Amino acid sequence: MGRGLSSRTLRGFVAGGRLGQVGWTASVAILVFLFLLPLLPSVTNSTLFTLTLMLTTVGVAVNWNLTGGFTGYVDFGHAVWFGIGAYTTAILVSLQSNGPQIGWSPIPAIGLGALVAGLLAALIGRATMRLKGPYFSIAMLGTFVAMREIVRVSGFTGGGVGLTLPPYLNRPLFYYIQLVLVAALVMFTWWLRRTRFGAALVAIREDEIGAEMRGIDTTSFKVSVFSFAGFSTGLFGGLWAYQNTFVDPDIAFVEVRTVDAVMSTMLGGLGTVAGPVVGAVVLYWLREVLWANLLDYHLLTQGALLIVIVLFIPRGLVGIFDRRGTSVNALWGRWLVRRADPGRKEDEP
Amino acid sequence: MTALLEARGVVKRFGGLTALDRVDITVGEGEMVGLIGPNGSGKTTLFDCLSRVSSVDAGSITFDGIDITRHRPHQVARLGMSRTFQVIRVYRDLTVSENMELSIQWEGLGVPGLFTKADPGTRRKVESLLEFLLLAPLANERAGVLSGGQRRLLEIGMALMSEPRLVLLDEATSGVNPTLVVEIADRLREVNRTAGVAFLLVEHNVRFVADLCQRVVVLDQGAKLAEGPPRRIMEDPAVVEAYFGAEGEGGK
Ligand SMILES: Nc1ncnc2c1ncn2[C@@H]1O[C@H](COP(=O)(O)OP(=O)(O)O)[C@@H](O)[C@H]1O
Ligand SMILES: [Mg+2]
Repeated sequence: MGRGLSSRTLRGFVAGGRLGQVGWTASVAILVFLFLLPLLPSVTNSTLFTLTLMLTTVGVAVNWNLTGGFTGYVDFGHAVWFGIGAYTTAILVSLQSNGPQIGWSPIPAIGLGALVAGLLAALIGRATMRLKGPYFSIAMLGTFVAMREIVRVSGFTGGGVGLTLPPYLNRPLFYYIQLVLVAALVMFTWWLRRTRFGAALVAIREDEIGAEMRGIDTTSFKVSVFSFAGFSTGLFGGLWAYQNTFVDPDIAFVEVRTVDAVMSTMLGGLGTVAGPVVGAVVLYWLREVLWANLLDYHLLTQGALLIVIVLFIPRGLVGIFDRRGTSVNALWGRWLVRRADPGRKEDEP
Repeated sequence: MTALLEARGVVKRFGGLTALDRVDITVGEGEMVGLIGPNGSGKTTLFDCLSRVSSVDAGSITFDGIDITRHRPHQVARLGMSRTFQVIRVYRDLTVSENMELSIQWEGLGVPGLFTKADPGTRRKVESLLEFLLLAPLANERAGVLSGGQRRLLEIGMALMSEPRLVLLDEATSGVNPTLVVEIADRLREVNRTAGVAFLLVEHNVRFVADLCQRVVVLDQGAKLAEGPPRRIMEDPAVVEAYFGAEGEGGK
């Protein structure tokens, strides 16, 4: 990137807070537009469902960013919380004969699904977040795969056949619910980053041992944010299950959901507030519009995009303006070093 | 009178290597103690054990009368012990002031305190400490762009932010230009005099140690070799042997 006049002007612009104003104005305008969208006659239920799914991707990416972008714990199994939220909801509302036939109404079921995901995240995070770098990432991938298989062989989950949920019709209602949730979640991360707690998460990302030695209770901090992310992704999982009206292990626990969250956050800007939102929308749009007829090359194009990010926009689209994020290189650099860091500094009791 | 820091019989092994062999060390309230010894004698390892980054294989450590042998590092920090690192640890992506603001005394902040921004009191303290350490002009620079010497100063500033009662300094002057070393010595002496902060400092710069410390502890191959006032230690034949005999250039 050029260090010349343009970049300096840009930085002056950012420092002057004008970017903040532009950002706020744009956000409010987009939000108003999204609120009015269902009223347009040309917007069909199927469009609304597509948008709702996009909001799901955005929400999951924002949650992934809390642990991956802010705290520096690269989670390869984040979709497990989505699956758990989805399945808990499905088990509670489904009346299918191969399930437990509890028959709750959706709102409490989705709420409990999120709570279960959050509690499990707290428990599992206590164990896995002792691990560093690749060890953590792989432990989470293992958690994800193990959970899918547990669901597949269990009786009360409907096993490999899955569970059918009651039919559901109100697309606009769930579109609005998710819109409000995503907006609230983004506001929450914006606020969180400004607090001491948010700054401490960044300290953990930058140097965990240093943070611990300077009085930050790193375990509690990182496990709290991890279980919040699990809770919130579980919420989106429950909402998705209810709208999808069917779950089975292979559609509730999909690796792609994690991959999308990681890619969105890197594309938009790791550790920034707007990054995962922008990244998820761009990624979603690329996929729907550009790659729809490149289906066979899906992974290839995704890989190519990754290379473009690493080479040209390591701080992400939002990170170009927002210094407070981090770059792909820095994150993965630390990720590898943590593995190589010998007992010397990591020799915790 | 009990010492502020008291370590007894500290043993640390790395596989077959005994890095610390029953080391005793005490630091009194407001005292300045030097810790010297050739490279590889276990000084950093001792710091790691005292600040609880490393577990000890035997021995006990008390701070302010509290047994901290099983504490976690952040708990030790909250009791009032802070440190710097031989391999500098600053948050490189954050600005100098942000680094300082993150090094507050977290004890007693409470949950509401965690979810608020740095208060004006903290910011004033950051400003005055940065002023004191000659870093004020760099307050808004990323810590990653500072020179080695400036980073050492920043680390000292971070260690002082929490209003500690004891600071462990691990080679705080290495890589720092000589004029700045004099400044650092002045600053440390002033903090010690005005705030009664105790220091335990690992140093290769013998002059620096002799200037500042009332007492010096010498480590050699993981064991305590000598202890006493700086002048006497510098003339101790065993110390001279350990430094200049076997190590050659170890104690320049
Ligand atoms: N994590 C570790 N694993 C193995 N050996 C170590 C480790 N850390 C330190 N050592 C060894 O312990 C001894 C003391 O090292 P150190 O405390 O760094 O010495 P000093 O700070 O006095 O130069 C050295 O022999 C060093 O190689
Ligand atoms: Mg050392």
